Amino acid sequence: MKLTVLLTKPPYGSIQAAEAVRHVMGAVGEEIDVKLLLVDEGVYLAKKGQEIGSTEYTSLEEALKDIIDMGGEVFIDKSSLRDSGLDREDIINGVEVVNSYDISQILLDTDKTMIF
Amino acid sequence: MLVLIKSAPNTVEGKRGLKIARDTSSDIVLLQDGVYFMVNEMLDGYCGTAYAIEEDVSLRGLGDIRTGVKIINWDGLIDMAAEEDKVVGMF
Amino acid sequence: MAKTFTIFLTTAPYSSENTLTAVRLADTALRKGHNVNLIASGDGVYCFLKGQKARGLPHAGDLFAELISKGLKVYL
Repeated sequence: MKLTVLLTKPPYGSIQAAEAVRHVMGAVGEEIDVKLLLVDEGVYLAKKGQEIGSTEYTSLEEALKDIIDMGGEVFIDKSSLRDSGLDREDIINGVEVVNSYDISQILLDTDKTMIF
Repeated sequence: MLVLIKSAPNTVEGKRGLKIARDTSSDIVLLQDGVYFMVNEMLDGYCGTAYAIEEDVSLRGLGDIRTGVKIINWDGLIDMAAEEDKVVGMF
Repeated sequence: MAKTFTIFLTTAPYSSENTLTAVRLADTALRKGHNVNLIASGDGVYCFLKGQKARGLPHAGDLFAELISKGLKVYL
């Protein structure tokens, strides 16, 4: 079974990014072939240097690093990244920058897609 | 007037908040996902003073971004809101 | 001079950052000697349910209970 999780929303402002991360983490734990696609404002999930301070939030940057360390694949849409105002060096290591064609191929190849 | 913007730049709410601030010559305070207006000169064409809440900026890893936006804490926002004749938002 | 801030909270406790924002606004205004009202409407009322077991994000029940003890007036 191949699962793709598509995130279009930025972290913290809504629960969507945390939910995407949680489901990808669960799938990685179950050894499901899972890919996380960051598009539109979902690209901000991969921004380096998130500081949770005294907010009580779980760091989604750390969670994303854990996903990558555990073998989860994370892709970021090149044109969304450009629109976001972030550069490649603003993004954590281990995230692959891909174009729209690559994203189409991932979505065509996957069995199930979850959108957050 | 002070306009509070909590929505990201590419949302209808975020765009509306900024347009109203521009049309009414108001200052803006960016919080929650609104702090992403700080990146990539998304405030181009806005002439008022823009403030952003430090906690929401740091949370999203934008603390190192250098812009013309003034970083304030919650105390700063409450003081401004108490002084201002009108506060609108949050968009 | 003490002013009155009234926060209108309509969102569920764990679906958005509004919970933390409302907590910070109320806490800061109270600390500065202002009066703070909070009107919870629609899904906002769920912020005040007993026995919430949130982890990994701001705990609405605990945070608002603390603010009520500091003088926050809540109306459902």
